[in-house]
Amino acid sequence: MATVTYAKASRVYPGTERPAVNELQLDIADGEFLVLVGPSGCGKSTSLRMLAGLEDVDGGQILIDGRDVTHLPPKARDIAMVFQNYALYPHMSVYENMAFALKLRKTSKAEIDRRVKEAAGLLQLEEYLSRKPKALSGGQRQRVAMGRAIVREPQVFLMDEPLSNLDAKLRVQTRSQIASLQAKLGITTVYVTHDQVEAMTMGHRVAVMLDGNLQQVDTPRALYDTPKNVFVAGFMGSPAMNLKTVSLVDGGADFAGIVLPLTREQIEAARTGGDKVTVGFRPEDTDIVAASEGGLPIVVELVEDLGSDANVYGHAEIGGTSERFVVRTDRRHMPNMGETIYVKPRPDKIHLFNAQTTDRI
Amino acid sequence: MAIDTKPASKSAAPSPEKTRREVNILAGFGHAFLAVWALLIIAPLIWTFLASFKSNEEIFGDAWTMPGALRLDNWTRAWSEAHVGQYFLNSVFVVALSTAGTMLLGAMAAYVLARYSFWGNRIIYYLFVSGLAFPVFLALVPLFFVVRNLGLLNSYLGLILVYIAYSLPFTVFFLAAFFKSLPNSVAEAATMDGASHTRLFFQVMMPMARSGLISITIFNVIGQWNQYLLPLALLQGEGAEDKWVLTQGIANISTSAGFDADWGGLFAALTMAILPMIVIYAIFQRQIQSGLTSGAVK
Repeated sequence: MATVTYAKASRVYPGTERPAVNELQLDIADGEFLVLVGPSGCGKSTSLRMLAGLEDVDGGQILIDGRDVTHLPPKARDIAMVFQNYALYPHMSVYENMAFALKLRKTSKAEIDRRVKEAAGLLQLEEYLSRKPKALSGGQRQRVAMGRAIVREPQVFLMDEPLSNLDAKLRVQTRSQIASLQAKLGITTVYVTHDQVEAMTMGHRVAVMLDGNLQQVDTPRALYDTPKNVFVAGFMGSPAMNLKTVSLVDGGADFAGIVLPLTREQIEAARTGGDKVTVGFRPEDTDIVAASEGGLPIVVELVEDLGSDANVYGHAEIGGTSERFVVRTDRRHMPNMGETIYVKPRPDKIHLFNAQTTDRI
Repeated sequence: MAIDTKPASKSAAPSPEKTRREVNILAGFGHAFLAVWALLIIAPLIWTFLASFKSNEEIFGDAWTMPGALRLDNWTRAWSEAHVGQYFLNSVFVVALSTAGTMLLGAMAAYVLARYSFWGNRIIYYLFVSGLAFPVFLALVPLFFVVRNLGLLNSYLGLILVYIAYSLPFTVFFLAAFFKSLPNSVAEAATMDGASHTRLFFQVMMPMARSGLISITIFNVIGQWNQYLLPLALLQGEGAEDKWVLTQGIANISTSAGFDADWGGLFAALTMAILPMIVIYAIFQRQIQSGLTSGAVK
């Protein structure tokens, strides 16, 4: 059990100008499940590896349970890591894979046996203990990698995209297993993924990164409902939020003659970013209305029937350019391709961003 | 009810028969070529083996005749009178120690050069590799003086050290490529599990490189077993004859007797030298194959 603190921790790879991780400031509570998420190259894996001790820290500090571990070797940090490709020892059996770290720590044979059996029970690996990794399926290998971390009883778990090598169905299943396992063990966990669905479903809190900078860290719900800037708004949620930069006019934002009403305060705040404003609304926060009610005319290009509801992709002419939109409808009102539908965003669900700084208004 | 698996519209697929026939012809040529090659390798071996039972007259007679009798005395003569038995043991002793030394030093050097970045890494690596370009003949005279000045002439220690030195370039070159192909994350996992650099090397990376290590071991064993020039130059002087290795002993059979050479004994000795290598190769054949390919493709 431990807290983890990144205190303005930076990493600059030799020979590069821009830091891979730029003054990361992040406090992780004891027992928390924190997810680091972002597109590839955003520095999330580097951040995790800095905490693991596999990557040098070029500035700032990293603390585990208040202890400065910035320049300690990995084995002095009392952490365990699950790798993306599992990184099992191919020449050792499942049992030996899990026992390796304990053996190096000179744990007694009886204690090793107890812990390995316990972890194997937890992960349903009992019958595979004598097998070599190559005789296991992908999901079993993943569980062995988890088991290797669990038997250590470390202060912090680090997981680097542990589900990305599994097929879709197994991924969803394992996702919930990891989450419940973490809840049961109560060990502070830092989890890296590029998949925003994993981030939303697993994390107590989610930290969104871009280009080495932390964008926002909050609960999944808060990230979804009040994204701090355009990047976070577009990254979280699938299909992504509709984000359009349009002209400001008296009374609101101008969508090709259709004015989305805004309050006086909102308009004033938006004016600081010039005469444009970035408007966002989620696909599900829309209503399809009749033509006479003044919705945005969208020509339907593609309808994704998801079974429970449907995503409708289309485009509308705004200021001479064709802009793409996504809206979610229930199945009873599925439009046909080529049809024009009229869409009205729900006024209380609109997100506004400064057109210049991209920050939330 | 049968499930309809037909696509909505029929598309004309290229006939598979033609391509299959082309593959067959190519494979046929390949196999014919391999068969000829195998014959070229195997025929002399069999001829040598058969000749080890022949008398001198039979050897210089028709090559296609079988030995008139199973003359095992060729073998016993070679083993005891020509001291091949003694030389055989000498060879085993020298090759065992030099191969062990080559593998230990070579594997450690290759591992560090392949997986740790430090200043001068490339220079050291290319120094090793440049050793591949040195023919034994070129360095033979200076090597002789170096070994003599060290007082190691006519000693196994000197010979073993020179064997190791000559085997290291290719060993390092081959194993460095092999160690590079091993997944980095496994090494990181072991580091996080608390393994020191030494333990990481001996308990995780070495076992993972097993097939490569076996391949290069066999390669070195064969190379050092067949070495003739180096022992000829370095094992000379007082009492050198007792220290000779197998190749020298065999050469001696053909040269010492002048025109009255014991050809049957010579072929028996040759067979004794060849057989252990064939046996080793046969035992480890699978590992050699996987070692040769896995380093190259992965």
